[in-house]
Amino acid sequence: MSTPGNNRRHWELWISVLPFALLLVLFLIGPMVLTPLLTFQETKLYQLRWTWSFDTWSTVLSNPTYSAVLLRTVWTALLSTIVCVVVAYPVAYALNTRLAAWSNQVQILIIFAFLTDAVLKTFGWVLFLDVHGVGNWLLQKLGFGPGATNILFTPKAAMLGIVYNLAPYPIFTIYLSLARIDPDLKHAAYDAGASKLRTFLQITLPLSLPGAIAGALLVFVLSLGTFLESKVLGGGTKPLASELIRQTFETRVNWPLGAALTFSLVLVALAALLGLVMIGSRLRIGAAGRETS
Amino acid sequence: MKHTLSYYHRINRRTVLKGFGAAAAGAALPSPSFAATEHLNYMCWEGYDSPAVLDPFKKDHDVEFSVDRITDSPGGFAKLAAGAYRDFDLVSTDLPWVQRMGPAGFCRYLDPAEFAEQYAGFYPQFQAPFEPLMDDGKVTGLPTRWGWVSPSINLDHDTVENWRTYAPVFDSKYKDKICLLDWGEWPIMPLVLHAGIDPWQELDQAALDEVRKVIKAALANTRAIIGDLAIAQRGLLDGSLFGLIGGGTYTTLNMRAQGHLNIVCPVPEPNNGMKQGVIWMEATGLIENGKDSDLAKAFLKHLVKPEVAMNLAFTEATSNLVPTKAAEDLMTPKQREAMLLDYAPTAQERSNFLRIVPNVDDFLAIWGEELAAR
Repeated sequence: MSTPGNNRRHWELWISVLPFALLLVLFLIGPMVLTPLLTFQETKLYQLRWTWSFDTWSTVLSNPTYSAVLLRTVWTALLSTIVCVVVAYPVAYALNTRLAAWSNQVQILIIFAFLTDAVLKTFGWVLFLDVHGVGNWLLQKLGFGPGATNILFTPKAAMLGIVYNLAPYPIFTIYLSLARIDPDLKHAAYDAGASKLRTFLQITLPLSLPGAIAGALLVFVLSLGTFLESKVLGGGTKPLASELIRQTFETRVNWPLGAALTFSLVLVALAALLGLVMIGSRLRIGAAGRETS
Repeated sequence: MKHTLSYYHRINRRTVLKGFGAAAAGAALPSPSFAATEHLNYMCWEGYDSPAVLDPFKKDHDVEFSVDRITDSPGGFAKLAAGAYRDFDLVSTDLPWVQRMGPAGFCRYLDPAEFAEQYAGFYPQFQAPFEPLMDDGKVTGLPTRWGWVSPSINLDHDTVENWRTYAPVFDSKYKDKICLLDWGEWPIMPLVLHAGIDPWQELDQAALDEVRKVIKAALANTRAIIGDLAIAQRGLLDGSLFGLIGGGTYTTLNMRAQGHLNIVCPVPEPNNGMKQGVIWMEATGLIENGKDSDLAKAFLKHLVKPEVAMNLAFTEATSNLVPTKAAEDLMTPKQREAMLLDYAPTAQERSNFLRIVPNVDDFLAIWGEELAAR
């Protein structure tokens, strides 16, 4: 039953959420609605014309270039995700075991690297990988030939940059998962005669999977939007979707095409993400099954 | 009386109205610290916003600048065209984009008589009537910096003789030693000219197919497509890269000004009936925003004064030529050598003047497609 007191509380509630709701509509929902609408417009003389047409979509769908870039982006994101998790797991594991005494110091170092701007880190790698850089100098001192780290401006350097910039995410999610595992479970496994490897494979790894999956999802989503590493370290010869979108919006001033590419990337990303979540759920269910049995 | 949390959070119609009232009253009050100062909203490339350029004018005219530094001329133009022209007083950008402000309807045209003194101070080729900045007989802006597009090379690793044409871009001996700069149409223009195609004519499909071929061949021999000037220059200096394509004076002169006189930017000789160089130019134009600001005009005159032009010529990031002839007299012999002033007439003779490229979007689309297909 509505009473004057209830009405006032409702009214107060609405007023208090109004600013946030307005922000949400203006800066999140508005652009999300505008993006697909833009795809049906045209640009002429570098100015947007609100004339409804399917020309942009027919360009996007008929030109294999765009699908090639989108697929390359998803493939790069998948590869980065796998490499990041593979690199992050031993680090997180060491932080929980052998390096437990130094855990705080190492975490501070990782946080420091994590909070440093990606632009700075990426350009730092240029100086390191340059033929006259520190990396090359070190390798030459170790007896390698001149130009030993001649990987700058190659896809390898781009992957190195992506993994370096994104690996802290899975390191922390896996670390937290590992830290939450009850040590008694491992002790029980040892008491039952399990080897260290078996204990790791049957207890630690399954129970830390949620952290690995969460980290993988974070890396996947973020690496779909990377362009700096491929542009700066990779030499820009294999552009990813974000760079293509930037170029379409900024250099070509073709907003409808840029919006269509953005929308396509979001759709492809959502599909890929859904696939990853489903795989993750199956792995989790499997792990939970083993835990209860 | 004890005030609970809910007391402080209690909102009613009266308190909301009071809040709006107070905010409106606050907004209506003049701000004493800025009351006497005028404002100019200025969109520009790097260098134009340096203290050495702005501070003397600020001091003389009691004016504050709000600067929007652009990194992409089409992007800057698109922003103005989308409605930002109402907020800006001036823009310093690549010449075709100043000229385009005329047809786009937000150019505040200049009266050449009012700028007669400034025109008189320019090199002859930039004096009025300066056709590239005209729109239907009306003047859209003044030239403020210029240079030429040609390969930047390092004489410690290469020779000018090798670059009599753009052939090294496609030569397997230069495989993975070529850098195409990721600067829109700039690296595409030399390739198109090398193929003997006139990019300033409306091109048919056959010509665009040729453009595709030449871009594809260049990309196949390229090590990197770099947008960052410092990284590209570093590669040229350390010998990782033998040629930067799409730059020219913009990628060369500041290295020379820092003492690297081994870095040069020779313009290749005419090939396939086409001059191979491109003269680029930045210009500054006034924006029709309804304010009719005299201060904006005064600032435009300030930009081409010899001592200010010198500061525009030598900025933190780049060095460029300026149209003001008297600026040359202020340069030391070392600066003159760094700026390749003695070579400038040869470069101009071998170059086309940059104008609007009708098929620029086709060029960029082909570039993007061929890059994606690699």
